[in-house]
Amino acid sequence: MNSPIDTAAAPEPQRTIDIVNRSLKRRYRAERRFRFYGLAAIVLSLMFLALLFVSIVAKGYSAFWQTSIRLPIVFDPAVIQQDTLVNADYAALVREALFKKFPQVDGRQDKRQLTALMSSGSVYRLRDMVLKDPDLVGRGAEVWLLADDDVDMLIKGHFRRDLPEAERRVSDKQIAWIEQLESEGRLERRFNTTFLSAGDSREPELAGVWGAVSGSFFTLLITLSLSFPIGVAAAVYLEEFARKNRWTDLIEVNINNLAAVPSIVFGLLGLAVFLNFFGLPRSAPLVGGLVLTLMTLPTIIIASRSALKAVPPSIREAALGVGASKMQMVVHHVLPLALPGMLTGTIIGMARALGESAPLLMIGMVAFIVDIPKGFTDSATVLPVQIYLWSDSPERAFVERTSAAIMVLLAFLVVMNAGAIILRKKFERRW
Amino acid sequence: MKKAVVLSIVVALIAATAGMVQAQQRDSISIVGSSTVYPFATVVAEKFGKAGSFKSPKIESTGTGGGFKLFCGGVGVQHPDMSNASRAIKASEFETCQKNGVTDIVEVKIGYDGIVVANSQKAAGLKLTTKDIFLALAKDVPDPKGGEGLVANPYKTWKDVNPSLPDVKIEVLGPPPTSGTRDAFVELAMESGALKFEGLKKLSKEDGKKFQKVFSSIREDGAYVEAGENDNLIVQKLGANPNALGVFGFSFLDQNTDKIQGSFVDGNPPSFENIASGKYPLSRPLFFYVKKAHVGVIPGIKEYLAEFTSEKAWGKDGYLSEKGLIPLPEAERKQVGENVKALKTVTEVK
Amino acid sequence: MPPAYLLIALLGLSTAAYYFGRRKAFALSGRAEGAAKLHSRPTYHGALTALWCGIPALLIFGFWLVFENQVITHLVVKELPEAIRSLAPDRMNLVINDIRNIESGSFASQAAEPAIQAAADHYHRLRSISNHALAAVSIALLTAIAVLVRGRITAGLRARNQVEAILTVLLVACSTIAIFTTIGIILSVLYEAIRFFKVIPITQFLFGLDWSPQMAIRADQVGSSGAFGAVPVFLGTILISAIAMVVAVPIGLMSAIYLSEYAGKRLRAVAKPLIEVLAGIPTVVYGFFAALTVAPVIRDWGSRLGLDVASESALAAGLVMGIMIIPFVSSLSDDFINAVPQSLRDGAYSLGATRSETIRQVIVPAAIPGIIGGVLLAVSRAIGETMIVVMAAGLSANLTVNPLKAVTTVTVQIVTLLVGDQEFDSPKTLAAFALGLILFIVTLCLNVIALYVVRKYREQYE
Repeated sequence: MNSPIDTAAAPEPQRTIDIVNRSLKRRYRAERRFRFYGLAAIVLSLMFLALLFVSIVAKGYSAFWQTSIRLPIVFDPAVIQQDTLVNADYAALVREALFKKFPQVDGRQDKRQLTALMSSGSVYRLRDMVLKDPDLVGRGAEVWLLADDDVDMLIKGHFRRDLPEAERRVSDKQIAWIEQLESEGRLERRFNTTFLSAGDSREPELAGVWGAVSGSFFTLLITLSLSFPIGVAAAVYLEEFARKNRWTDLIEVNINNLAAVPSIVFGLLGLAVFLNFFGLPRSAPLVGGLVLTLMTLPTIIIASRSALKAVPPSIREAALGVGASKMQMVVHHVLPLALPGMLTGTIIGMARALGESAPLLMIGMVAFIVDIPKGFTDSATVLPVQIYLWSDSPERAFVERTSAAIMVLLAFLVVMNAGAIILRKKFERRW
Repeated sequence: MKKAVVLSIVVALIAATAGMVQAQQRDSISIVGSSTVYPFATVVAEKFGKAGSFKSPKIESTGTGGGFKLFCGGVGVQHPDMSNASRAIKASEFETCQKNGVTDIVEVKIGYDGIVVANSQKAAGLKLTTKDIFLALAKDVPDPKGGEGLVANPYKTWKDVNPSLPDVKIEVLGPPPTSGTRDAFVELAMESGALKFEGLKKLSKEDGKKFQKVFSSIREDGAYVEAGENDNLIVQKLGANPNALGVFGFSFLDQNTDKIQGSFVDGNPPSFENIASGKYPLSRPLFFYVKKAHVGVIPGIKEYLAEFTSEKAWGKDGYLSEKGLIPLPEAERKQVGENVKALKTVTEVK
Repeated sequence: MPPAYLLIALLGLSTAAYYFGRRKAFALSGRAEGAAKLHSRPTYHGALTALWCGIPALLIFGFWLVFENQVITHLVVKELPEAIRSLAPDRMNLVINDIRNIESGSFASQAAEPAIQAAADHYHRLRSISNHALAAVSIALLTAIAVLVRGRITAGLRARNQVEAILTVLLVACSTIAIFTTIGIILSVLYEAIRFFKVIPITQFLFGLDWSPQMAIRADQVGSSGAFGAVPVFLGTILISAIAMVVAVPIGLMSAIYLSEYAGKRLRAVAKPLIEVLAGIPTVVYGFFAALTVAPVIRDWGSRLGLDVASESALAAGLVMGIMIIPFVSSLSDDFINAVPQSLRDGAYSLGATRSETIRQVIVPAAIPGIIGGVLLAVSRAIGETMIVVMAAGLSANLTVNPLKAVTTVTVQIVTLLVGDQEFDSPKTLAAFALGLILFIVTLCLNVIALYVVRKYREQYE
């Protein structure tokens, strides 16, 4: 401490209180300055967060709405025979409806442009409708069908209409048709349920995050249920039970070192051990979870050990003093006090595990998977991988979907960590 | 004693689980390989899966080399059925395959991928020649003062390279040397550019290796920026920096015509038609490889091949061309299609 | 019963065994005299019973599932026609896959041949027998042990010591996982790294000043050879990590101090989790932010000051990476500052110290082991980051400490080399393993040093 006594070497005798009083102004200034730095640091961090958040939301919110077009579809029995409900040419129904809507369109090129307004997914939508209700065949119905992603981008204003035609992906004719549909109330932006319920797709309008969310869920469930208990147990053993010797030093250095190993190397390890040696299935959340567990463990162990170190020795001595066994002392007294620090380690470690894609590359989870995983051994991908793959897709409509998927990931993060944050708050105390 | 018991149980458990190798089961196609073929293969896989008779294939984006490593690992459920590749299989890889029992491989050439050199719409469009590209990007170039030997690349601006080009700093964002795109770019643009010089042409006949080194060494003084393989990022960087040029796949130009423009190379703009007809010089073939032993055992392989090689997929107006794949000429398409139907295998690799 | 349900049943039964054992203990003690007569508290008797029942049952369950498939497959294969049985093992594997697909009712490759169909039916029968048998055996075992253990519960049973012994074994097992992971990592990179060093001499790799893996990808393009000197790559790693730490440590530490010492309860409850979100934002987002927002700003300012700024710069990547790792420093430090005993603060205040003086001279030194732990984690994260560097600092390895130039890091090189299009046994790919190994050794040395430094300066309070 900058003890005021030090400055008391003045020639004439002074009362300490005078020296203190003289320095008070300076010390208070230092105090205010220090406090300001702290506040500034927090404001700065939160500002960065807000900046990132705003840029994500601004780009991504529009993905939750999707342009649809209402068409009068006639389920022509000549096209849909009862015995080929699955394989019927549903695309013909959409084409027919469009040509009837715009009878003036003629010529192969123009007709192609007209059908290009509709998403290729409308076929599956009609098929599902018919499979669900075979009585539709022979009747007509007004059906909302998804528009193509280029139409959607135009409606959302991501494509400018005033550019020369050659620089646009939507032609002048198409714009005219779209405007006609719009004025008839046949074109609308509706809530995008596909995005939240479907798996991956190469057509932006059909792509969804649910497959990746499920994959992340299964993967992180494994990671959390292994890494937290194992991490805490390892930390408790090393800090409370193990004798301090070369061996524990070795383990400690080892753990610190593992924290610095690049994540893709954990992928190599997973490939060698879990896939090649144990023969677990490729691309499975089970393996992903195990690899991420190994990656997160050092973080949790280091945080937990530091937390245990921070518990004052008097607590331990008191517990032992009233006759608790060592295990009882740890479980009943030390652990609850160290829990906030351990939970912080877990929160940060899991946040990283949720955002990590590099190690999953080696074990086959950076993949295009349409089907939604239903268990720990189904092929799956995870949210950060989905985000990465979409950010690398040429189609423009994936830009907003990338940001929207990031929003989903952040929501996932908040839900996942909410429990830990509440627990941490509850156990936090000063002594 | 107790420790010994615990230890032996742990060891036994590990040994036992190691035996699970046999226990895998797979009812869908598994594909690995190049990230360049990925956007095309996935379209086919999705259509194939949604048609409903089979599960959608799983397609991993591992890079061509990583893909072959997995593909050639052996025959069996745990090994992938197909590998996408942005280059033909290499002799050493073919050997590995043979050694591991993957003896019969079917090669499918699916089309061409154009490589474009583009800049922002905000800047003036460039008309380059391969000679300009070579002069701007090679590490060593023929002495501009007319000397015999090679000198370290002295050019700072495009105007230095060719007086008809604008006076802006040379800055090209392109793929790293680990990328197949870079390899093709070097071969197609740099090599033919180098051959425009008499001295280098002579060198190529006398000392192929040295010539190779000249045209494939790209300068490392900051004019060429190795920018990773995220082509979307390059597109956006071009938007932020109108002076820079980018090298990437045609499909990204196709999707972003409102932001960027492709430079003419040797007098031709990079358009779908020009690449298909071969007028635009920078394009390279894409492939995938199929394990014949898996056909008929893993459900759906034959049908997937049929879908991929159908006219509505890889044809001139097929859905793959909409995604930016340049189709093979009609005769070649027919030829490859027949080979695939007959499952004609690769017998030797150069 | 399907294995998943059986597992739940076994866990449920083990829980029941806990109450079973506890009741017995209560009964022994006799309500009137209290639990005083027992050596251990009744919950320990319960826990002991549950452990004794659960562990063997789960072991049986695990072993059964592991061997079940092999045994059944073997039995099924024995019944197959000779023609199929004589196939090579890897072909056999495909046939078995077909049988399993038919059995589980998923898509089969074709209309099944009668022999295969019969095998599938056989497989199905065997599997259901096996499932039933497993359920019967494991539940019977569990019940038997429960009864047996119950009989052995006496007042003098040292239940607590036994439970604690089992727990200690578990703790030891958990702490050795780190060792196994290390061994695994070394083994999985060592082989390929050695192959690399056979092609490129290790001295050239360690001390070479030129990193330019411009080797041709195709075999007919021999000639151009790469240079594999790792110094620029490591220097780049140090440079970017240093920039990141310059951002993260002051901001993180000051945030932590403010949160734990000055901030009100409500601000703290909100701000801390919010800052932690920074660690969870996917790195792709930071990458785009760095490349498209920060880098152009730096370039503009640089050119206004007359500096030569590359469009990809270490500064942009480092700054953004620093933001990402703020929570590693702030949250962990906050916890440990908060854990410093109040008596220390009170002592300092009573001597007349202001709050900032207390913090700087008493609290931070007391919390230093935890803070260093957090900083170490942050450094580790910075070294391991790839996406931000690829997007904002590029891939060209320049030997420079100028933060305005493009540099690359070890991790980035590992990733790009591994996912590239070159063949897998080319020196380019193998270089990734060598880099991984050397990085591992370098960080190991740094950690050993850090351990001694922390030991030396650690102050134990109370």
